[in-house]
Amino acid sequence: MKRVNFSYITKLTFDDYVHDHSFALRIIPPETDTQHVISCSLHISPHVSTQQTTDAFGNNVTAGYLKGDHRFLDFEIKGAADIDHSKHRTDYMPCYLYQSQYTKPDEALTNFYESVKSRCTGTVQDRTEFLCDALSDTMEYEKGLTDTSTTSAQAFALKKGVCQDFSHILISLLRMDGIAARYIAGLAFCDGETHSWVEYWTGDHWEGIDPANNCPVSDDYLVISQGRDFRDCSIDRGVMFGRYTRQLQLVRTVLT
Amino acid sequence: MKELKQSHFTEAVGNANEINELLRRYGVKFGIYKNGVFNEQFFPFDPIPRVISAEDFKSMEKGLVQRVDALNEFLFDIYHDKKIVRDGIIPEDFIYISKGYLAECEGITPKNKVYSHISGIDLVQAKDGEWYILEDNLRIPSGASYPLIARELTRIAAPQAFEENPIIDNRGYAKLLKETMEDVNCGGARAILTPGRYNAAYFEHSYLAEHTGSVLVQNDELFVEDNILYHRTYSGGKTRIGVLYRRIADEYLDPLTFLPESLIGIPNLMEAYRSGNVGIINAPGNGVADDKGIYYFVPKMIKYYLGEEPILKNAPTYLPFYEDDMKYVMEHLDTLVIKDVAEAGGYGVVFGSDLTKEKLEEFRATIIAEPRRFIAQEVIDFLDLPILENGETVMRKADLRAFVLSGKTTKVWASGLTRFSRNPDSFVVNSSQGGGFKDTWVLSR
Repeated sequence: MKRVNFSYITKLTFDDYVHDHSFALRIIPPETDTQHVISCSLHISPHVSTQQTTDAFGNNVTAGYLKGDHRFLDFEIKGAADIDHSKHRTDYMPCYLYQSQYTKPDEALTNFYESVKSRCTGTVQDRTEFLCDALSDTMEYEKGLTDTSTTSAQAFALKKGVCQDFSHILISLLRMDGIAARYIAGLAFCDGETHSWVEYWTGDHWEGIDPANNCPVSDDYLVISQGRDFRDCSIDRGVMFGRYTRQLQLVRTVLT
Repeated sequence: MKELKQSHFTEAVGNANEINELLRRYGVKFGIYKNGVFNEQFFPFDPIPRVISAEDFKSMEKGLVQRVDALNEFLFDIYHDKKIVRDGIIPEDFIYISKGYLAECEGITPKNKVYSHISGIDLVQAKDGEWYILEDNLRIPSGASYPLIARELTRIAAPQAFEENPIIDNRGYAKLLKETMEDVNCGGARAILTPGRYNAAYFEHSYLAEHTGSVLVQNDELFVEDNILYHRTYSGGKTRIGVLYRRIADEYLDPLTFLPESLIGIPNLMEAYRSGNVGIINAPGNGVADDKGIYYFVPKMIKYYLGEEPILKNAPTYLPFYEDDMKYVMEHLDTLVIKDVAEAGGYGVVFGSDLTKEKLEEFRATIIAEPRRFIAQEVIDFLDLPILENGETVMRKADLRAFVLSGKTTKVWASGLTRFSRNPDSFVVNSSQGGGFKDTWVLSR
């Protein structure tokens, strides 16, 4: 068990006024079997009333609507949680066994899986670790080549990417191998950005694995949201009206 | 048919041109896309009514209520416990590969547990008089306004027929729809959401709004605040919407839950819906139950959920997914009709008998490569109906779309949309494929 303090700040700035701005944030860490949220405060500026719901994947959703003109939207969470991976999560959903929008493999990724399949044997954990190793041998971590819309097939073609891409490719491989897997967005390492990793279903509980670092998930990993792929885990989604041409987003995270 | 006086048909027939002229004036049209170009087409009306006997309707009604109740149970089960999958009645793949299954809807319980409030069930009558279910349409089935307008016009053209024959008045549809909307209203006004006038069914959206006393709205007039859906009024105020009969597809409903690029959706509508603050007709996620692959399992659902024998039969259907069925399909491909489960509106329907030897072989390979994508059905020998063409009566294939409404209980509208194929060699009756429609007379005795 480990107690962590976390904070996360996003600043959205527009170059002209916007209005009728609806947003949905998945930013408040969920209370789970492996994670007890001791405190968590959310601050949004400009002031706006919000509502909390829980979505189909178990994420906390904060929804709001800013009617009047504004040029920025900032939100910040601060809190503390106890993380304990000696315990297990069991919130299974069958959809995690099937490829989703970001993880649908193309021919190259399918061929890659076929080429390693014969050596992928043993327990679910053995197979997952084997596929994660195979992925690490093939992919290189490099920033700036991919973005949040990059699919596993696209990143695999580049053989380069960031944590999101590593997670998507591992999920594609696991699902091809008949192992249910889900995407996790969260905080780990104090590198100022959000992190992502993968959970796989052993048959009776979820286990975490970090494909970008090719290591198991420890008590230093705070889950913020989970889903079939990145699409279900966007920290912020919004729709607004106005004549802005650009928006700037700054993100800063701290986990200690 | 015998008990009806032939003179009344003649009376109606004599006025056919007048009726079609009225239809043009009243604007009964539907939109159609072809090669990226939008056109409005006239939906041709045939003056010879189809007659359904009281006895026939009674058993059909029972069968439809049974079927729709089972489909609603199935939808609740799939988005909650998934017992039917765990008990091995339906293979898991069929649910989770279906494009209509929306994981985002897991755990949502709509008011009264009703998912399919308006079901459009397509049936055909075989030459032996037996009715067969061809398709269940549980997403946004259209067409309910056509029988209404047809009736309005036949009443003008042949008033005597309605005085002397026991034809059930179908003008109660709007009342039935309004009741259904009120049954699932979560507190507020009724609204019908249309994607706008370039939609194929825009005529119907405005017609139904007018007749149910609902506001006809487009997405930019609606917004969600504090998880409550509001209509923006012209004076700058807001009115709460308690039930939304939406005529746009699931994936466009809420850009913050589904397709982010949707410009016709309402941001955070799903949050308002999940919180129980607005009823959505029909419920998002219904596509999993009207998937052509799931159709095969509906008789099994009726037994599973209701413990009853299905009253209405499916057309004999084969799933190439199953080995035995694949074998049968391969051996009889030239006599079967093959449907692509992902297509609708009469698209993706192939009759084996229409294919050349070469094409048949090509198609065989496609089915083997993607067995889950297709279902195969025996071609039912439809009962032909008379239609009037250039002053002469000719026989054409026709189907019936029955409308079944579920709010607190499930009711069948004693009417329906009879569509016919104008092409003598075609079984496809969809309006988007150039078919026409006629009035449907359900007799009370």
